[in-house]
Amino acid sequence: MSKVTKLSLKRLLWANPWGFAIPLLLGVMASVAGVALLGISGWFLSAAGLAGVLGLAHGFNYFTPGALVRLMAILRTAGRYGEQVSAHEHLLGLLKTLRLWVWDQRVEKDPANLHQQSRGDLLQRLVSDLDQIIRWPLVVMLPWTYALLAYLGVSVVAYLITPSLLLPILIAALLHLILVPYLCGRYASHSVHVGQILGTHRRGRFVSLFSALITLTIRGHWQTYAERLGQLDKRQKKAEVTIQQAISLGRLASYTVTIGLLASFFYLLMDYQASTGELTLIHGVQATWVVALVLSVLAVNELALPLSQSFVAQGQSQVGIRRLNQLHSAKKTKETPTQAPLAPITQIELTELRGYHLSSGLGNAPITMSLKVNDIIWLQGGSGCGKSTLLAAIAGDCLSEGQAWINGEVSQLYDNKAYQSQLSYLPQTPYVFQQSLQANLRLGALEATDQELWKVLDAVALGNWARSLPQGLNTLLGAQGRNLSGGQRKRLVLARLLLRKTPILLLDEPFDGLDSESIKQICHTLQNDYQPQTLVLISHIPNPLSDHAKTIQL
Amino acid sequence: MSKREKVPKPTKQKRLKTPEMAFLNEWADCQSKRYRLVQLLGIVFTVSLVVQAWTLANVFSDLVITGTFSVSLLLMALSALFIRALTSFGRERLSAGASRSIRYSLRTKIIDHLTQLGPSRLRIDEDAALSTRVYEQVDALDDYFSRYKPQLFMVSLIPCVILLAVLPVSLIAFGIFMITAPLVIVFMIFVGYKAAQANRRQFRVLAMLSNQFMDLNQGLAELKRLGRSAHAKQRLGDSASAYQRTTMGVLRLAFLSTATLELFASLSIAMIALYLGLGLLEQLPWAKGEAPVTLTQAFFLLLLAPEFYLPLRQLGNDYHAKQKAEAAATALLEILVTQQQPAEVNLPAQGTHLSLVKTQSSSLLTFHQLSWQEAGRSRLAPITNQIREGERIWLSGESGVGKSSLLHLLLGFETGYQGECFVYDKSLDAVDLTAWRSRLAWLPQTPEWVNGSIRQNLVLGIQPPSEQALRDALEKSQCADFVDALPNGMESKLTELGAGLSGGQMQRLSIARALLSNADVWLLDEPCSGLDEDTANAVLDTLNRVSKGKTLLVVSHDTHPISWVDRHWNLTHGGLHEQSHQAIA
Repeated sequence: MSKVTKLSLKRLLWANPWGFAIPLLLGVMASVAGVALLGISGWFLSAAGLAGVLGLAHGFNYFTPGALVRLMAILRTAGRYGEQVSAHEHLLGLLKTLRLWVWDQRVEKDPANLHQQSRGDLLQRLVSDLDQIIRWPLVVMLPWTYALLAYLGVSVVAYLITPSLLLPILIAALLHLILVPYLCGRYASHSVHVGQILGTHRRGRFVSLFSALITLTIRGHWQTYAERLGQLDKRQKKAEVTIQQAISLGRLASYTVTIGLLASFFYLLMDYQASTGELTLIHGVQATWVVALVLSVLAVNELALPLSQSFVAQGQSQVGIRRLNQLHSAKKTKETPTQAPLAPITQIELTELRGYHLSSGLGNAPITMSLKVNDIIWLQGGSGCGKSTLLAAIAGDCLSEGQAWINGEVSQLYDNKAYQSQLSYLPQTPYVFQQSLQANLRLGALEATDQELWKVLDAVALGNWARSLPQGLNTLLGAQGRNLSGGQRKRLVLARLLLRKTPILLLDEPFDGLDSESIKQICHTLQNDYQPQTLVLISHIPNPLSDHAKTIQL
Repeated sequence: MSKREKVPKPTKQKRLKTPEMAFLNEWADCQSKRYRLVQLLGIVFTVSLVVQAWTLANVFSDLVITGTFSVSLLLMALSALFIRALTSFGRERLSAGASRSIRYSLRTKIIDHLTQLGPSRLRIDEDAALSTRVYEQVDALDDYFSRYKPQLFMVSLIPCVILLAVLPVSLIAFGIFMITAPLVIVFMIFVGYKAAQANRRQFRVLAMLSNQFMDLNQGLAELKRLGRSAHAKQRLGDSASAYQRTTMGVLRLAFLSTATLELFASLSIAMIALYLGLGLLEQLPWAKGEAPVTLTQAFFLLLLAPEFYLPLRQLGNDYHAKQKAEAAATALLEILVTQQQPAEVNLPAQGTHLSLVKTQSSSLLTFHQLSWQEAGRSRLAPITNQIREGERIWLSGESGVGKSSLLHLLLGFETGYQGECFVYDKSLDAVDLTAWRSRLAWLPQTPEWVNGSIRQNLVLGIQPPSEQALRDALEKSQCADFVDALPNGMESKLTELGAGLSGGQMQRLSIARALLSNADVWLLDEPCSGLDEDTANAVLDTLNRVSKGKTLLVVSHDTHPISWVDRHWNLTHGGLHEQSHQAIA
């Protein structure tokens, strides 16, 4: 699936048509074999019974039907097995495709908008949406196709008996395959939609309310707020009732259609004798085939029953798709001018630069400054004056107004990849991935040797800690493994940045939570082995670097 | 949590009585009326199944042999089919209703429980994760209560009834059923066990995969900065492929076992059909020239054969419902077993130390040998001291020594303490909690905010104050400047600000809220943690200015000393030590 397309169920189907075709074919084989197993057995029994009564038993070829019955039994099993295996294979492939699609959409997003969607609950929702969508072929498409084909098979048998049976079969097929599922889906669609929206809403409110639990409780207002949570629950329950009703009613309707179809068969094939209260087969129809037909219809009924449920499931998949499509970033209108690789940066001039956050509009007061080779710049200012925002703006992570000259040319800082490849930025809350220590570090330099990793760890005063780990560089970090303190996290991410050896280094409070020994070590590093061309620093902790630094007061 | 109370691992033989199963059964019992009705309908269903097979068999045999049959037979057959449809409908509705009732009342119960736990709920998990349990995990019980549980009854009922119906008709068919049924059941157990293992492993791997996806997503900004988003995509793709390979290996096995089951069912039907056909042709090797069954009986058996295996196969399909429910039950039980310690131990001393309080009539709060033991672990060493009205106290101590626990206790969320705690001359557990709490203001480490505007949050849970009072509070807490600077002022949404407001600003807002509430006893839990020194000092200054005349208990680390307090307590594992105040000043 290409990066720019929107998702739709149809596209998903065509993303890997063969992956879908194989389970479909196998499933068809299994379903037809299942229907045929009953049909042939019925025919065989009735033919055998008839032959027995007529005394023709000796001339009866019972090998073929016997073999057929056994063949069908085996085909049904093998088909079902193959279907299950290949369908799941397909499903997992789909999961991969979808995940990568979501990933692409997220990568396309502007960095300034990223954090909005980085919150845990949204991602949690994404994951559950994905699970909902991949079930679609398995739950909706396959059963529907089986029922359709089973109806075709029944039609052939009916045609062989007498073509007049085709009309009721056609009607029943329309009802079973289209009308009933459609009505169920429609009846439930609103509730499915409401239910899914309520689901996220409820969660959001729960988290919001519980985060203020104590305040609300001591003010004596918890009950009223909790009631609202209960209200949402009640609405959700109502939606659930409707959905369940749609499914149950659909099944009941399917049953009724089958009964009607059977009744119509007998009406068309039999004559009623009022005197005896008996039905007689009309002339020219073979009773054995009628038995086979009736038994097949009973088997088709089993295939038609799940359809009402599957169309409700389709509604769920569609809601999931719709929500995923919200992620879809419209192709960037202004194709960022082909970012030719930038010459090594020697100078950056900023005039009246003001970084600001998209959501609140808050930021720093406009500032004019320049960054040159061998500069160490220390940004200072009171709490809330926008130091961090300015630094993020310089890093190209945050929106900004004003002008910037790089190497004497007017350039855009925000989301400029060529520029960003020459700088490293340590934000206030750096992110450590739930990977091994070395995988985390190597994100900075893929080709780094173990030796280089140890060297950089020593440079940020993490070497001794890392050596004390039983697994060393292979230690898993983050929620999956070892937890890091705030200071360790900062230093680890700093080490990763140092491995990139970029000319510009931007550090936001790198010494927070560090002891003075470590601070000394890091400052030494930044002035020797890993000295950047230009260093911009925010720190409220006094450190050796400040002696050489140019202070800029915000 | 398992760290705290290790439940002795149940031996394999006692697997049926796991706490999860007991929990699920207990809740199912609440709906026993509905379930009994479902069982009754199940019986009607089974009877109509047999009636339908018998009447249809008669119709078929009459049709084949004579070409005529009685219309009443046909009507009976069709109405039996219809009754089956109706009973299924009823069963579905009743089971779904039972499942709904169970789930929604369980949810209410859990939410109530979490409310009662108050701050200690965070010992179980953070709020976002708790919400997953309250919603997703409770809903994960649905399939168990609406499908698996009713199906369990049908699995024993239908085969038994069919066996009974078959017995008088044909001993051989009865024999085939009797031989295959235990085989199927043995296989079911074996398969179920294997499938359960495979399932568990798959769940784990899937969770890991989701986790990796979320992890990379959360760090996406960092990856983009590092220019490694393509590398991460590669990783995602690789691990998804690897997962596909390993899972398919597991699934192939798991499905193979289900397939064996299916094969048994299919082959038994084929065997019965063959036996009957040959029998009708009088070609059975051991009984040539005689028909062991009539055509009617043959049809009867053929129609019943698939129904015999159907419930077992369905149960096999629904088996994962049980798995899912058990996993969910584990998560839910963890919430429900987290209790406030029952307050039984602290009764005997009642009254004896009241005299002690009476002598100190000016004291608002009096602690006497107040301590808190939980599960054999001391959460708060015994302390004895008092707080007079209008006194401002700084409480310091290492982490884990019980500072926060003391505050939680004063908030009235913990009742499991030992020793005594008096509010004036009333024991805390006898005091009117609503009245006591209305005097409190609570300022925790991360201020408590709901989704909504700044204004909504400021007036959260109090009578809407006048505009002037709001302004005053904002001025006093030094919020006015930055709130006015926001484009929407007080109507700005707090959640959207996210990166907009700094930690210090958020703390100031919560000071404004405390001011608005007119509370005169303020409890603060590390209001300065996470703030840099300058900001912390500024916040403490503001706090000093606005809190004069109020009773204050501030928990704060030594790294953020508070110079303006009246008293400084240092809490250790040994107890409370009053520090000389001048030492800190």
